[in-house]
Amino acid sequence: MGDLAARTGVLVAILGSIFFLSAPSQAQDAAQREVQIASLPDAPQPTAPSQSGLDRGSTSSSSNSLAFADSLQPPVQSPPAPSAGPSLSDLGLTAAETEGSAQRQALYDRRTHMLKVHQRLGLITVIPVAAACISSVGAPPDHGQYGNTTSRDIHVALGGTAVAMYGAVAYYAIRAPKVSNEPARGGVKWHKYLIYVHAPGMVLTPILGAMAFNEINSGQKIHGIASAHGAVAVATAISYGAAIVAVSWPIHLKF
Amino acid sequence: MKSLCIFTALLLVLPASSPLVGQTPDPTWNLDQSSLTYHMSHPMHEVDGTSHAAKGKGICHAGQCDFLIAAPVKSFDSGDSNRDLHMIQTTRGAQFPLIEVRLRLPQARVASPTLDCDLEVHFAGNTAHYAHVIFHQTIEGNVHHITGTVPATLTDFKIDPPTFLTIPIKNDIPVGVDMTWRPS
Repeated sequence: MGDLAARTGVLVAILGSIFFLSAPSQAQDAAQREVQIASLPDAPQPTAPSQSGLDRGSTSSSSNSLAFADSLQPPVQSPPAPSAGPSLSDLGLTAAETEGSAQRQALYDRRTHMLKVHQRLGLITVIPVAAACISSVGAPPDHGQYGNTTSRDIHVALGGTAVAMYGAVAYYAIRAPKVSNEPARGGVKWHKYLIYVHAPGMVLTPILGAMAFNEINSGQKIHGIASAHGAVAVATAISYGAAIVAVSWPIHLKF
Repeated sequence: MKSLCIFTALLLVLPASSPLVGQTPDPTWNLDQSSLTYHMSHPMHEVDGTSHAAKGKGICHAGQCDFLIAAPVKSFDSGDSNRDLHMIQTTRGAQFPLIEVRLRLPQARVASPTLDCDLEVHFAGNTAHYAHVIFHQTIEGNVHHITGTVPATLTDFKIDPPTFLTIPIKNDIPVGVDMTWRPS
């Protein structure tokens, strides 16, 4: 009987000591919760609907509302920290991948600005190119009438304007900062391939035109390589137009 | 005999007072595969840009699961490198290289066939909130396949709409989501 009493006494002592040891922390937790609740503003309404399943955790803008929501929950063994959500480093992202660069953004901005000017000038240049092609009809001498040079002069002026503007268009494309070393994909790839047609064409066409002009002015029929002026000009104009379409491709009209 | 009694009592009482009793390890979720596709609309162009480079993780704790999904802006491929570079410039992707999406779900509803999510999206240096975005979920084994659309717009992130032939693109840039998650 005495032995049983001793065992019971020991068990009670152990239970008592465990309770005694754990009681301060529980009381402390309860006191902390009371302080938290007391420090809250009067009856704020949660922003997220109760069925939405989101309390905006781990974000700077909503961490306060999350703390409030936690404080209203029944006591749990270990309340979640307000920023319990995963971070970018948890995703395995390095600083180089997560940090941006204002300088690099400025480079992109400059590139876009120059390519917008390139685009705008390029479209405007269609006008003198087309006009030069149309005016070429009146450029050759009619039936030996070498003296009338007005049509030819207009054609020369329009052609010269087209070439000059083309040079400006090319300048803005060439001088635009390069921001990627990856090969071109999509319509811009064909836009770049066509440079190999219209760029030499834009150099050759005025040279051949000048040769043809001189031959006509000296009373000769156009002969030799100068006779290719028209064909080269047409090929150049077509490839130039194709370059504009290529960079805009595919086109899905939908108004 | 006394020591045996004490030892038995400790075995019975101490584990019961441990905070770990009754708890299972908090599950974490990992984004296995993903496909995020934005759609851009212009009177002359309909463009889709897709990224498969998103990374994601979910951490569950105390009945709540916090998810973070991040995708590099430059990882979106529209099939045209010039357009993609222009997209990066327009969305200030060099300065803010990541799109971050955060959401929280009750752990009990993570396996629901329909997920009603409130999203917090950081993009282009701005933050937008989308409430009640519905995602559909199918579960095969431990693979959770989630699909849905985030109704994003340019104005949500203060992005100036790019123009083509002086006509701006539409403000709506819905982002299609197709993801596969696995618990671990």
